[in-house]
Amino acid sequence: MSTLIVISILAIVVLYLGLFKAKQALLPISVLGLVAALALAIMEWNSNAAPIFSGMMHFDNFAVAFSSICIITTILVFLLSKNYFEKISDNVAEYYTLILFALSGIIVMVSYHNLSMLFVGLEIMSVSLYILAGIKRKDFASNEAALKYFLMGAFSTGFLLFGIALIYGASKSFDLAVIAQYVIDRPTGIDPIFYVGLVLMIVGLCFKVGAAPFHFWTPDVYEGAPTLITAFMSTVVKIAGFAAFLRLFSICFAPLQDFWMPTLLVITILTLFVGNITALYQTNFKRMLAFSSISHAGYMLFAIVALGAASTNAIFIYAAAYAVSSITAFAVLMLVKAKTGSENFEDFNGLAKSNPFLAFALTVAMLSFAGIPLTAGFIGKFFVFNAALAQYHTWLVAIAVVNAIIGVFYYFKVIVAMYFKDNQTKQIATPAYFNFVLGVSLIITLVLGIYPSFITNLF
Amino acid sequence: MSAPVDYLPIIMQLLVALGFVALTMGITHLIGPKRKTTDVKLTAFESGIEVIGNARQPFSIKYFVVAILFVLFDVEVIFMYPWAVNFREFGLNGLIEMFIFMGTLLLGFIYVIKKKALEWD
Amino acid sequence: MIDLVWLIPLLPFIGFLINGLGRNVLPKPLIGTIASLAVIGSFAISLSIFLTFDAAQPQVIHLFDWINVGSLSIPFAFQIDQLSIMMLLIITGIGSLIHIYSAGYMSHDTGFGKFFAYLNLFVFFMLLLVMGSNYVIMFIGWEGVGLCSYLLIGFWYSNGAYADAAKKAFIMNRIGDLGFLLGVFLIISTFGSVSFTEIFPKAAGMVSGDATLILITILLFIGATGKSAQLPLFTWLPDAMAGPTPVSALIHAATMVTAGIYMIARSNILFALSPVTLDIIAVIGLLTAVVAAFIALTQTDIKKVLAYSTVSQLGYMFLGLGVGAFTGAFFHVLTHAFFKALLFLGAGSVIHAMSNEQDMRNMGGLRKKLPITFLTMLIGTIAIAGLPPFAGFFSKDEILAHVYEHNKLLWIIGLFGAFLTAAYMFRMMFLTFWGNFRGTEDQKHHLHESPVSMTFPLIVLAILSIVGGFMGVPHALGGHHWLNEYLSPVLAATNNILPALSLDHATEYMLMGISVGGVIISIIIAYVKYVSKGYVPKEEELQSGISKLSYNKLYLDELYTAIIQKPLDALSAFFFKVVDKSGIDGLVNGLGKVSIEASKTLRLLQTGNVGFYIFAMVIGIVAVLVYSFIII
Repeated sequence: MSTLIVISILAIVVLYLGLFKAKQALLPISVLGLVAALALAIMEWNSNAAPIFSGMMHFDNFAVAFSSICIITTILVFLLSKNYFEKISDNVAEYYTLILFALSGIIVMVSYHNLSMLFVGLEIMSVSLYILAGIKRKDFASNEAALKYFLMGAFSTGFLLFGIALIYGASKSFDLAVIAQYVIDRPTGIDPIFYVGLVLMIVGLCFKVGAAPFHFWTPDVYEGAPTLITAFMSTVVKIAGFAAFLRLFSICFAPLQDFWMPTLLVITILTLFVGNITALYQTNFKRMLAFSSISHAGYMLFAIVALGAASTNAIFIYAAAYAVSSITAFAVLMLVKAKTGSENFEDFNGLAKSNPFLAFALTVAMLSFAGIPLTAGFIGKFFVFNAALAQYHTWLVAIAVVNAIIGVFYYFKVIVAMYFKDNQTKQIATPAYFNFVLGVSLIITLVLGIYPSFITNLF
Repeated sequence: MSAPVDYLPIIMQLLVALGFVALTMGITHLIGPKRKTTDVKLTAFESGIEVIGNARQPFSIKYFVVAILFVLFDVEVIFMYPWAVNFREFGLNGLIEMFIFMGTLLLGFIYVIKKKALEWD
Repeated sequence: MIDLVWLIPLLPFIGFLINGLGRNVLPKPLIGTIASLAVIGSFAISLSIFLTFDAAQPQVIHLFDWINVGSLSIPFAFQIDQLSIMMLLIITGIGSLIHIYSAGYMSHDTGFGKFFAYLNLFVFFMLLLVMGSNYVIMFIGWEGVGLCSYLLIGFWYSNGAYADAAKKAFIMNRIGDLGFLLGVFLIISTFGSVSFTEIFPKAAGMVSGDATLILITILLFIGATGKSAQLPLFTWLPDAMAGPTPVSALIHAATMVTAGIYMIARSNILFALSPVTLDIIAVIGLLTAVVAAFIALTQTDIKKVLAYSTVSQLGYMFLGLGVGAFTGAFFHVLTHAFFKALLFLGAGSVIHAMSNEQDMRNMGGLRKKLPITFLTMLIGTIAIAGLPPFAGFFSKDEILAHVYEHNKLLWIIGLFGAFLTAAYMFRMMFLTFWGNFRGTEDQKHHLHESPVSMTFPLIVLAILSIVGGFMGVPHALGGHHWLNEYLSPVLAATNNILPALSLDHATEYMLMGISVGGVIISIIIAYVKYVSKGYVPKEEELQSGISKLSYNKLYLDELYTAIIQKPLDALSAFFFKVVDKSGIDGLVNGLGKVSIEASKTLRLLQTGNVGFYIFAMVIGIVAVLVYSFIII
């Protein structure tokens, strides 16, 4: 709770710092503020908090865990932003502020206890992101990305809102506990508009997490937006989307699994195939990451399809693994792009010779994406698949494993480029901040991969 | 699950929504006055002088900024009406909360001024 | 001593860290010494465990709890029993020899430090694979060795074909891993555990032919076909010869490729209860053995011959597993490790002497120039051909005896393959060491015997290839089959289910006689053709008739390209070109190209674009609604 307040105030403070020309203080204050928010969040762990603000929000362990992971990832993104925003815009403070506002929306999204708060959080986050995607004002791609994201986001939000309205119409409440009770009280004879609302909410949420066939915006927006914003969108925003998705379904709709599971199952399989197969052919690393993020959304959807006791744990671990690997990939991409000016696979040629550490960090990240053992990604996939198997979705797991193998193809393309291809490039200078972020991500990936016990039993 | 008949309300809603659109469009077409028009009649009236260019011209983005800011602050003020009605029930807490709300709004206003968004040139 | 077991994998890992970090700083001799000492240290510990271990039950050394979720607990633990001890000895023993050999072989290479770092890492993962006390640790090692193999095959990455070979190997392996992983998941959902010590007793209580068990074992076997290069996934192994020769010896002959056999031997009880799977394994193994032997007959690259012979020998091991001769198959793993490592290292020595020439058509008459290499390789060749009393004879005959009892037809085909083995191996020897030298003057000038660090491992392995067979002398020849007794605790449950070999001694003598006789005839045929007539295969002859089929590896690579890669590429291209490019971008770009010419309104382009997106979304929503409410 205090986390949300700290982040909101922090956003305004940072905005004013920019107004009074204290540019040097922006980054340190943002990071320190987020660390404070993180500490406050962790202090609420296991405090058995009751819903607050008249049942609007509930800062339970679920919320603490997902808030923490979102805040940590945002800190990593901020650390990469040193000298980045200055290059593309004059309004640096606004960047920080908008990201912080988006983060406050995300905190609401992971801790809502009322559908109206879900909507408010989602909108705070989305509106900030629409602006962030288009913040390179003079750049056509960035403008295009913002406009597309806005139009399609608004469109899908409409469906979400329609869904919420229909569910309200049936259950006469926005409160999650009341809706859950409504479902439990009626083993048969739930109002049909409730089902329609449920499906529309699936549509809206699937858009937010970028699942097929509602994924069309993802590649274009990810490619057009500034790289760092893409990093933020594909990690923090996606995790928040899944947290909101899972929270809603595990609290309210679990008894109706027979109804929504087949639909979500089809979406999951479609997402996996579309993401993986399209990624296979990309020559642009950033676009490849965009499609791979679609396929990772597919894996995370798994845990929702197989909703059960283990789902939260599975999504949490998968999200953590995915976030750190993505941050690494985007960090290296930014450095390479600053050097070569483009972001194709060939630009990574010979990186192992010129920058062994960068190449190694990226290799570990790719291995983690591909789910090779002893990396966090393997543990994540293991938990997700295991959750699915606990519900006897054997074929689903088989399809997912096939997809995991397809994934190896394109993740290894980068590794092959870095290690097995030569290019007489000079060393890329890596700022200390980058080394720090890469080091932290690397350690998290390996530690989670080798000794995952300390976060596997959180829930 | 439920019987098909349970979906009747949805179909009804759909029909009503579509029907309303079709009906209004049809009726206005039927009962509205019909005039014969010529090209001259459709041109904009400019004191008898020949029309120059299109009336739909791009206008300065500054209008847009001002308009948006107006709407923004205008909408926020709406919150004060229900608050004012329930002023006594809220007590001191309500007062503090409204001060926080107004303070935030004020911060936004200062930001707008400092960013020179309201200056025309 | 068993308390020190965790040191066995740790030492190579430390070696990897030191060499990996200090590869540009440390002097070459130091790197070689550290890497070799790490593996020798592991070997010493393994040896002492071997000498002191006498427990009938497997010893599980629990290190820490790795994953705990719900009722499933996966500890990071090692299991030491007779089976893993034998594997440990092979991996660290042969590994040590190959490390010593590599110090000489790679001495001129610029990537010396990196090479030893990878090699140490490989040993580490391989040890994890055989020591893991559950399927998940085994899987870590399984994936890890695949990764190291990938790095080592592509070690000379400046050659594009080598890098492609590396990728092919990794991806073929991953296809197999798919099966393994699914098998493990199925084991979890069936037994609620992944630990060997919990699964096997439970499995032993199940009925033979249980459908779940059959599915599990088939999935595990698919995993084994990838790693152990069986039909249809074997084509990566010959390509893997792109790596440095010591790598071929260590990874693609002696250790990694036997992982599949180890895994099946480890899970013997599961397989023993699935007769259907066993039959499949036997047939696949036999087919692989014969097909690979057939291909090996016409190859002209010395390493390719050895590669196909490895595939073929692995086929024999699977054949052995398939007919229930678990000990025999494992015996063959051991002896094969000796003589195949020897042959590869010998081939490496030849290649080294010939200044990196690998084509046998340019060799000939080397036996006087490279006496030690020649003698040791001759021993290896005799061993693999299966002449008594060399190692290969005992293990191969044990497998064939089981096959004879199981099914006579399989035995005849298998025997035919064994004759082919003798033929192509001696063809290789005759082409390389007999006749006149056919290389360039420059190469002739350079010919030299390899340094001691390379010949020493050859001699050790040659001795092992001679005496290695004596650990499994059958009763018919007056032995008491020490290996069989040694492994009996591991195979106890299986031996209760599968019948023991019940051939009388006379039949066994007959079988041995037939196979030895056939082998000798094959050798004589090869001698007449390649030495007496001095025949050297020419390119155009290889491109005609049945040799063409063999020379081109039965066109299997082309077949795979046509039936797997092409459709997948096409599908991917379809998604990329039609859905992404033509469908969306094409629509938009088409509009855009026209409109950019006419006006600069990019606005049009964007609305068109998003319009399509939203249209697609609406279709999606309608589909979801229809699917939710009408279809279901």
